[in-house]
Amino acid sequence: MVQIWRRMKINSDDVAKLAVGPKHYKESRFDDWEAILTEIIVGDAFGVDRMDYLLRDSHHIGVAYGRFDQYRLIDTLRILPKVDRVSEDEPGSQEPALGIEEGGLHSAEALLLARYFMFSQVYCHHVRRIYDIHLKDFLKSWLPESMFSTSIKGLMRITDNEVASELSKAAEEKEHPGHDPARRIAQREHFRLLYQRTREDLEINREAGKAVFEAACREFGESEVRHDTYTQKGSGLNFPVLARDGRIFSSLSKSETLEKVPLVAIDYVYISPKFRKRAEIWRDRNLTDIITQKVGEEE
Amino acid sequence: MMKKMQRDAVLLSLIKEMKANGSWCGETHIQKAAYFLQELLDVPMSFDFILYKHGPYSFDLSDEVTAMRADSLIVYKTRLPYGPSLFPTKEGQEFLDRYPKTLSRYYDQIQFIAEKIGNMGVADLERLATALYVALNENLPGKSREIRITELKPHIKIDEANEAVKSIDAMRKESREKGLVNIL
Repeated sequence: MVQIWRRMKINSDDVAKLAVGPKHYKESRFDDWEAILTEIIVGDAFGVDRMDYLLRDSHHIGVAYGRFDQYRLIDTLRILPKVDRVSEDEPGSQEPALGIEEGGLHSAEALLLARYFMFSQVYCHHVRRIYDIHLKDFLKSWLPESMFSTSIKGLMRITDNEVASELSKAAEEKEHPGHDPARRIAQREHFRLLYQRTREDLEINREAGKAVFEAACREFGESEVRHDTYTQKGSGLNFPVLARDGRIFSSLSKSETLEKVPLVAIDYVYISPKFRKRAEIWRDRNLTDIITQKVGEEE
Repeated sequence: MMKKMQRDAVLLSLIKEMKANGSWCGETHIQKAAYFLQELLDVPMSFDFILYKHGPYSFDLSDEVTAMRADSLIVYKTRLPYGPSLFPTKEGQEFLDRYPKTLSRYYDQIQFIAEKIGNMGVADLERLATALYVALNENLPGKSREIRITELKPHIKIDEANEAVKSIDAMRKESREKGLVNIL
């Protein structure tokens, strides 16, 4: 492979740089072209990685809302100057960004809505998230030094097959260090959702989930409670749009749909099934008091 | 180092003061204002800035702005044909009211930045922030900062770079004289 790559003038550092993007590849700077290429691969709005996983996951799960017209979208992508000036007199920055022709705007809306639906209904579903936590607990208890190897040989030695096989074994063997999380996965004994932050709770306390988690740990013990939060990274909603008359607009000023796409943010607290009933009564009695911030709590 | 909620209070206050000083407050304006607040005045927000589009840029900060939008502390509003602008919400103001000590501690720094750059456009901010980045990270011996700025950002002309270096030196001097630096 190395010889083929050399003939094609492909350098592994360049591949890593573009595949990872500037957020994680901090060893060198990205020029304008590298920045655009990286946006095409892992960008927030039109990254091919995202287009691929939304379509693939929705296909395999059997849901329709992850689909969009990727062919139309790709055909209408354009490199355009970003719209960030605030008057006709202001030149704005001249650096290029990945944008779209006006004719592709509905395809872009469909992509960003597909992302919202997949995140809110699939990736962030509370049962799927708790299985992630149990799987992580199992892997930490089983893998050497609680992590996957960073050597190529070591990493390749542990595939999904090895994990599934060990998990099945651990679920049966009480002495296995990963027995508890493995059993929860294999026998659907997962922790149950005790608390989910609401819009009303958010107005009282932005860290309501953390407050409930800490109080539940004190009441039921740390090993019986789990806390899970996720907030969408970046939004990808603001990109340049080339109008039919040649002018360039911000996508947010051209599309009322994009302006209204919600952001995904979750804050869950889970409880072990054996405490579920007791914990629900405890939650109903104490929630308001737990999440209300006290004066002087800012530091 | 600040806690996440304190940091959001500082950011929100910065947006509010930038608006009060005439800023459009698009994401680039917020990125640059936060960069000045952290790197020029040492306000410990712990954002990781790299030299990227439009000068110094922090992906962590971009994610934080998204999180603040998700929690309804700020909203985007648009006006054709220009880019979107960030506005604090009623919930954002209520959130700010819960952090009086934090806001009072950094009040002078926030005011200083908002007054200095609140009325600047993206191109001016890009030049100025890149000049600060070069002064703090890239001041190579035997090479003028102006030249280095034009190497990093080829679309910036040498006389514009020269002007940016002078402006940034004046801002650094004034901030030190006013005792705004190294306040933890």
